[in-house]
Amino acid sequence: MIYLDNAATSLVKPAEVGREMLRAMQTCASPGRGGHRAAMRASELVFRCREKAAALFHVPEPENVVFTMNATHALNIAVNSLVSPGMRVLISGYEHNAVTRPLKKAGAEILTACSPLFDEEACLHAFGEQIDRAGLVVCTMVSNVFGFILPIHRIAALCRDRHIPLIVDASQAAGTLDVDFAGLGAAFLAMPGHKGLFGPQGTGLLLCEESGIPLIAGGSGSDSILQEMPDYLPDRHEAGTHNVPGIAGLLAGMTYVEQRTPAAILEEERALLRCAADGLSDVKGVELFCGPQETQSGVLSFRMRGMDCDEAARRLSEQGICLRSGLHCAPLAHRSAETLETGTIRASFSPFLTREEILRFCAAVREMSCGMR
Amino acid sequence: MKYLIMCKSLTNAERAALLLERRGFSASVVKAPQSLRENGCGYALSLYRRLGEAVRLLQNNRLLTGKIYRRGEDGSYEEADARDLS
Repeated sequence: MIYLDNAATSLVKPAEVGREMLRAMQTCASPGRGGHRAAMRASELVFRCREKAAALFHVPEPENVVFTMNATHALNIAVNSLVSPGMRVLISGYEHNAVTRPLKKAGAEILTACSPLFDEEACLHAFGEQIDRAGLVVCTMVSNVFGFILPIHRIAALCRDRHIPLIVDASQAAGTLDVDFAGLGAAFLAMPGHKGLFGPQGTGLLLCEESGIPLIAGGSGSDSILQEMPDYLPDRHEAGTHNVPGIAGLLAGMTYVEQRTPAAILEEERALLRCAADGLSDVKGVELFCGPQETQSGVLSFRMRGMDCDEAARRLSEQGICLRSGLHCAPLAHRSAETLETGTIRASFSPFLTREEILRFCAAVREMSCGMR
Repeated sequence: MKYLIMCKSLTNAERAALLLERRGFSASVVKAPQSLRENGCGYALSLYRRLGEAVRLLQNNRLLTGKIYRRGEDGSYEEADARDLS
């Protein structure tokens, strides 16, 4: 199997991830629910993961790192905390449904900063034109469909200059780009644990500048007499039993990322992307969505003229090549790139892939293209 | 003598314990006795020696978030005073 769906979830993980998860399942109880050794061991592990995340993403206090089920859960907490019905919220033209649907549910009036693909200046200009009408900005760091790296630091600066709160979706950035929470000055920043951080599914992080409003309520193991959720982080957003095995895996995954460094992982993924783009560039009927290197992460979308993208992905799947096709839960991004009618086929890379695998993938696409004629 | 430093949250307790451990103190995170918690369950740091130094270290790092108690021989707790902190 050649796994090229890492933007959905990374399937191949460092070996330590599974090992640490198993260890946690066998030795850790529920953190904050007792004083016995197994509970305290779990508490310590959860804290180490929180501390690791704080260091990796420049969060001043580990308390401000909240564990969630995934990035969508984290984004829902952020939106629920800041959006009131009728509020004008400015978003980029590359947002995922994990952003747009919670905003719609909260009754926000959504303003979209539309801009062409891989054009940083146009993106910034689009934000600049509308930001003064907005009470909140929500922006992804990287498009999950095209790998377009948005100029988040400059967008954050626009927000800071105007004292407009910012929610950042780092779903496709965590693990490959420098996610500097303190530097951005965001109110909240959400990310999954199971993509570029190589943790297991069911893990995510919300970095919080403020305490926010809990999305769910329940036992936190703290201040149990009170019938409101605690007013302090992280307990305020962590009702119910933690996913301790997941957190153990996430800690192992983040340790791997820290040791390899996000910059080195990005470079490796970009090299694989270039290899794929070169291998597909002369395949008849293939349309690639590539930008200047500095504007694209390890995600490559393409279409094949005369073939439905889902059908193409299905045929490649029969050869053991795992790609994602369709709209990728991001119709807005497809509208911005003018691919809404067809969707695209997405190949997303990981440092666990080899150049040989990429060449085999290119050969399979080429062969399929020949069969179409 | 056993001392308990009450903590605002479990994360606060873990953070404080780690700081003390890194500076050579022997402190552990324990579940705080219900009688010492106004709002129910919570956690504390347990420490046997060098209380004054530990408290100053926690204060300097903005990690002292609760009251400090001394455990008597009969198992009861009293709030620590200046003598304990000296």
